[in-house]
Amino acid sequence: MDQEELNKKLSEIKDKLISIESAAGGVDNRVCLSCEAENAYAVNKFLFEDVPLRFVIATGIDSDDCFEVLYHYAYDEIGCMITLKAFIRDRENPTIESIALFLPGAEWIEREIHDILGIGFKNHPDMRRLILADDWPEGVYPLRKDAKKPAERPDGEPSTRPTVQTQSPARRTVPLAKPIVVVGPFHPLQEEMEFFQLTVDGEIVTDIDMRISYNHRGIEKISESLQFDQVPFLVSRICGICSASHPLAYVQAVEELASITPPERALYVRTIINELERIHSHILWVGLAGHFIGYDTVFMWAWKYREPVLDLLEEITGNRNNYGNVKVGGCREDIPNELKPKILKEMDKLEKKMNMLTKAVLDDPVLHARLKGVGVLSKEDAIKYAVTGPTARASGIAIDVRRDDPYAAYADLDWNVITQPEGDVFAKAVVRLLEVLEAIKIVKQAVKKLPDGPVAVEVREIPPGEAVGHSEAPRGETFHYVRSDGGNRPVRHKVRAPSFVNVPSFRASCIGEHIADVTITLAAVDPCYSCTERLAVVDQRSNVIHDYEALLRLSRDKTAQLKKEIKN
Amino acid sequence: MSWKLWSLKKSPWVFHVNTGACNNCDIEIVDLLTPKFDVERFGIKLVGSPRHADALLVTGGVTAQAAPRLREVYRQTPKPCVVFCIGACACDKGIFTTGYHMVGPVDKIIREIDPTAIIAYVPGCPPKPEAMISGIVQALSAL
Repeated sequence: MDQEELNKKLSEIKDKLISIESAAGGVDNRVCLSCEAENAYAVNKFLFEDVPLRFVIATGIDSDDCFEVLYHYAYDEIGCMITLKAFIRDRENPTIESIALFLPGAEWIEREIHDILGIGFKNHPDMRRLILADDWPEGVYPLRKDAKKPAERPDGEPSTRPTVQTQSPARRTVPLAKPIVVVGPFHPLQEEMEFFQLTVDGEIVTDIDMRISYNHRGIEKISESLQFDQVPFLVSRICGICSASHPLAYVQAVEELASITPPERALYVRTIINELERIHSHILWVGLAGHFIGYDTVFMWAWKYREPVLDLLEEITGNRNNYGNVKVGGCREDIPNELKPKILKEMDKLEKKMNMLTKAVLDDPVLHARLKGVGVLSKEDAIKYAVTGPTARASGIAIDVRRDDPYAAYADLDWNVITQPEGDVFAKAVVRLLEVLEAIKIVKQAVKKLPDGPVAVEVREIPPGEAVGHSEAPRGETFHYVRSDGGNRPVRHKVRAPSFVNVPSFRASCIGEHIADVTITLAAVDPCYSCTERLAVVDQRSNVIHDYEALLRLSRDKTAQLKKEIKN
Repeated sequence: MSWKLWSLKKSPWVFHVNTGACNNCDIEIVDLLTPKFDVERFGIKLVGSPRHADALLVTGGVTAQAAPRLREVYRQTPKPCVVFCIGACACDKGIFTTGYHMVGPVDKIIREIDPTAIIAYVPGCPPKPEAMISGIVQALSAL
């Protein structure tokens, strides 16, 4: 289906829409639809099930006279981004019908929009608090335009709405029918805080519940108080490991909005930095995954291989992480030509090591036995939960923003999208390992082809309008939506990190698994938060409390046992 | 020197507390344990429970949801202990100062429950692993 057929298909629902605008904002593969809130459910169902499009995210906006909910979709075959705007005219009691029933991937974002803007979602299956703290007062919505200044804390009584089922045996008021495993919120190895509750029946996980908010910093609101040129520094601090792809997605949105074309050398510099980031992020994951299943040698070796990449990044951008190198109109720093031979040499060295590591993993019978068939995310579930990146590619969905909607210099270079059909943890490991090799290939080509010239153009002003930008972060598609009113700050800036859609897919991949497999299944999507530390299994029948170490031991014992069985 | 202080300064075991950081400081802390820096050589070990720890490595500017958990972790840590604020956010909330969900910085939250807490600061975004090692050495020598 090409652009024309897509437009024809979209016009089938014309009677429910206010307007269809193809080539929105003067860009070819952007389509903007708008409708009233009452019709949003039907139009969404048509877009997701009949066209069918991939759901990206929804954005809630407080405009002057109404609320808007923007549903962003992607048609990956031609890299087209479709935005559906639904207008909610009732400001007093804004409601819209929930789409989470047929699209579980939208469940979290509807909860988030409810938290921050107070828009009600009719028929939503689970409208608990998601993004704001437990003690945040009810009825205070930080992203409404009449909200207090960002730094001021709201007044009011703390909310009494439940956020998780129960927290600890001491606070439990009704006895639980089934034992619950508590995961989080602290973890010494990985990054952020995260809280999980696994309901277990013996060894088998029967339900999973999550609570986020520990790491909610209100970045979208802070962004509205910064100038366009300052925002990249903020968004690179959304996640330290995606600190090149977040600013890139934002900058691409602003460049699309203002019709700016960065110089060619800047595109290559962006490509090199983003791929170096992908390399170090994937190697980091391989190391952690090794640690979780008891292969500490893999952990140490992988992290050792990662160091030269960080050194290169430091030499190029001045910092090991948080590069701050991309800006609207180009890059801040150039890659000096003298550095080219060094990058090529380091990439050659790394390629050899990664070939060895990849072979070691793929040929290891213990890893095959331990990881194959574990934590399977089927293709159907992957589409329903709208997952992206290696998580989607390991379930046989060949999507990659770098190929589908090419940005930076990816269209000029020769590389492959890696997919695996199985959807289990092993497939995810294979995808990441092979992607490192592809990334090395990309860096080498980009360094060799690096054109001469300036790395930035001058940017005068950002016109009013709106645009979307997306880039392929190590974990998946990073999506940014920017709206400008012609001033020097964005009036709305929506960020969707890949983990926001990948994490809820645990519902599909963890239920029915053994507890010993949960650590690695949770880690397999490379979630951008901490999850596995201080797991505590509370078994009511025996009253045994296991902690994180016990669970890690369970996971490692299983590997050791398999090792023994294979040897015999 | 009391024996408590003496034992605190030898082989400090650390517990890592993320209170809303961007992962950068956190992966740099993990980096300290891996072959290039390998601080286990000096007896610095990351432990899985605050009850085993001599020092807390706190990252992030403390979100509203994290503050009560940080207090709880500090209460569980045996005293005397050193609280290290790792990174710009932990020191003074950094770039997230104006966020509506931020209640930090770390020293404010800790001093609410223990005004005499020993707090050391390692600024940087993120601080380099060398800076963290230097910070730990300086703080322990000052005790």
